[in-house]
Amino acid sequence: MTIALPDTALHRRAGSLTRHINSGVVIFLVLFAAVALKQPSYIEPAGFMNFLRRAAPLGVLAAGQVFVLVSGGFDLSVGSLITLSVLGASMITGGDPSLTGAAIAALYGIGVAVGLINGIAVAFLKVPSIIATLGTLLSVNGVAMMWSGGSPRGYLPDNFRAFGRFVFRDVPLVGQLPLSVIVLAIVAVLAWWGLHGTVFGRRVFAVGDNPRAAELAGIRVDLTRISAFVISALSAVTAGIMLGGFGGVSTDVGQGLELQAIAACVIGGAQLMGGRGSITGVVFGALSLFALFTLLNLLGLPQALRDTAQGLILISAVASGAYRQRTGG
Amino acid sequence: MTSVLSPALEMIGISKSFPGVRALEDVSFECRPGEVHAICGENGAGKSTLMKILGGIYRPDGGEIRIKGQPASFAHPVEARRAGIGIIHQELSLLPDRSVAENIVLGAEPTRRGVLDRTAMRAGAREILARLQSSIEVDARAGDLSLAEQQMVEIAKALASKPSILVMDEPTAALDDSEASRLLDLVRRLRRDSVAVVYVSHRMPEIAAISDRVTVLKDGRKVLTDRTEAMPTGRLVRCMVGRDLEEFFPPRGAADGGVLLQVNEGGNATISDINLTVRRGEVVGVAGLEGAGKSALARAIFGDRPFTRGTMQLNGQPFAPRSSRDGIRAGVGFLPDDRKREGLALGQSLRDNAALTLRAFARALALPSAGAMGNLTLDQRLRALDVRAARFDDPIRLLSGGNQQKVIIARWLARDPQLLIFAEPTRGIDVAAKAAIYAIIRDLANRGRGILMISSDLPEVVGVSDRVVVMHEGRIVGECPSGASEEDVMALAVGHGGSVAEPASACGS
Ligand SMILES: Nc1ncnc2c1ncn2[C@@H]1O[C@H](COP(=O)(O)OP(=O)(O)OP(=O)(O)O)[C@@H](O)[C@H]1O
Ligand SMILES: [Mg+2]
Repeated sequence: MTIALPDTALHRRAGSLTRHINSGVVIFLVLFAAVALKQPSYIEPAGFMNFLRRAAPLGVLAAGQVFVLVSGGFDLSVGSLITLSVLGASMITGGDPSLTGAAIAALYGIGVAVGLINGIAVAFLKVPSIIATLGTLLSVNGVAMMWSGGSPRGYLPDNFRAFGRFVFRDVPLVGQLPLSVIVLAIVAVLAWWGLHGTVFGRRVFAVGDNPRAAELAGIRVDLTRISAFVISALSAVTAGIMLGGFGGVSTDVGQGLELQAIAACVIGGAQLMGGRGSITGVVFGALSLFALFTLLNLLGLPQALRDTAQGLILISAVASGAYRQRTGG
Repeated sequence: MTSVLSPALEMIGISKSFPGVRALEDVSFECRPGEVHAICGENGAGKSTLMKILGGIYRPDGGEIRIKGQPASFAHPVEARRAGIGIIHQELSLLPDRSVAENIVLGAEPTRRGVLDRTAMRAGAREILARLQSSIEVDARAGDLSLAEQQMVEIAKALASKPSILVMDEPTAALDDSEASRLLDLVRRLRRDSVAVVYVSHRMPEIAAISDRVTVLKDGRKVLTDRTEAMPTGRLVRCMVGRDLEEFFPPRGAADGGVLLQVNEGGNATISDINLTVRRGEVVGVAGLEGAGKSALARAIFGDRPFTRGTMQLNGQPFAPRSSRDGIRAGVGFLPDDRKREGLALGQSLRDNAALTLRAFARALALPSAGAMGNLTLDQRLRALDVRAARFDDPIRLLSGGNQQKVIIARWLARDPQLLIFAEPTRGIDVAAKAAIYAIIRDLANRGRGILMISSDLPEVVGVSDRVVVMHEGRIVGECPSGASEEDVMALAVGHGGSVAEPASACGS
């Protein structure tokens, strides 16, 4: 039995406000303000759009990763899948623009296959996801190396690279609008719909929260988990296609991105043991992380220090997540 | 100062609020050495909150705690334990990957020269378990134990620190009758040793049998404290729920529908030779001691741990579920006995928990609030079952046990299965809610559903069922018609009275 306090309405409003303002949004605003202080050009439309363009692949990756996290697992294979996507695209097209469509179709096919392998290993063979996807990481890296002969070869046709570099000019309000920002927006909307707007999404939450209860309620826990891994893999391929347009073909494009994606999710309020997370949160989590990298860059810190900082951030984000969980706030 | 009559424990004017909920307001009570002081109240009355404040888990917003007359305040559970308070919490909290012995001594490990003394630890644990007349192996992994065994380990853990004040928050909820009566014997012995015992329970007969005084809480306030002799069950219930309960067990139906479920020679690794019929309109109770295979029977019929031998028919159709999903699809529902581990998605909202089975069978890409999964319909269902919560979109872990159970019932009512299996439907649930759940069960039967009710609570199984099937060591050893006494059922359950050679022998033969 509960007794409503006289000031319940007030309490409720305060409660729902703090509940609905996401940690990722707050952290992003703080960090971006710091970036803008250091380098005012970032708050100009062009500077901001450029920032978004470069942060977009991480946002896409996190929007996929959060499905796996909410379902109670990890997907460590996404970084290597990005590398495979970039190397694979250059091998398939060999620079021929007419093959871009075929290459993209093939990459998504590979993505589905990798997601299925992860999912089946976790759902049916009961391998803990951290181990299973670490195994996939190594295998996918191996495949990428074999396919490309161990060194980056070939180059990507311009129409393939458009996803990462093309910018619409003279757009009202913002001036210029990079294609990759549009891709991020589309992916975010799709992911939001999938996680928050469908029955499937609710099943993902239930499975991550208590797989046994979900099973006894009739949910296909295995299929739900597998779907989450496939979604994560598809987002990795998408991020790979975008990153292919950023730099050239290299063997380390995807390196470390799996941890960045997980860190972004945690900053955005996702819970590592499953059952909690939101798309708005993780997209802003990704932007926060990217703003932080930008800031460290602007401060002139060397790469090694940035890596260290990233590790520390991951740990503190997870620790604060665990604390929030314990205190129920 | 420490005369015999001075209280071992006083809680004075305790208040505590959670966001949107005033859980306790100005609650006071005291417990003397050698006294068993019962705390009663409906689900959500604030009993566990009061106990958690005593255990150093929550800080009170106001009020004072005195131990042997001295003001005390606990910032951490360890400080409460140092003050001589042992607590058995309602929520089991063993570390699943540690051994039973490690769990029992947790936080007070015996050491020799700074190193953990394993021999002493295991001997100590064994001694405490022996006092409880429990045969649990001290080296077993805690996570492998049954709910009842885990409860025993929790009790042993609380006793390990030799507390002068022992708080027991629904210690018998997960125990069967004989285990519960052994526990009550132990409480009597502790009372003789001048331990002050604070005892929280929803089982009225226990309160009458064991306590010296009762304090009743309602809606976070104290209603009264009185001597137990002056509190016959009727008065106690009236204080708790604020009105008379007209009927505790609903009248039985007369409906004799057709056969709904038929099990022939069913068996698997834990149970064998199961022959069972459930008719439409009938409530069949399943009784038996802990470990008799009651829960295994429920799971086999539902399809979660299927039969490997024998056949089943549902509605005259062959029925051989290989998974819970199969069972649900064919028209069976199951409320698991271990609510926390198997029933609830604790971090999700009440509504999401209530919609879980509907969503398991809805189209994957449908709107989560489509049709019957919409907030309006869900809220209606929750309100119809009188679920009490500050907000229906709060995570369900914030609810009291009875309210959680009602949400799971709502989940199944939404699916409306032909056969509904309730396992321990009222474990940890207050009298008023119990009566409500019995009424729901009977109402379902009257509407032509078949009910199988697994229960370790003898009065319940005898009071609600049309027939009681009794299990012993994985087999059905007998059956009692409605009106059988608790003694009849118990005799079969402990392996006397029925002839094992001829299963389903009539009661008392
Ligand atoms: N951590 C919490 N956050 C918010 N509300 C809480 C919390 N813990 C308890 N409550 C609320 O406080 C009230 C009292 O809960 P409490 O668990 O003390 O009840 P109880 O008397 O032990 O019930 P039961 O018989 O079901 O165990 C309830 O309304 C409950 O929902
Ligand atoms: Mg309680």
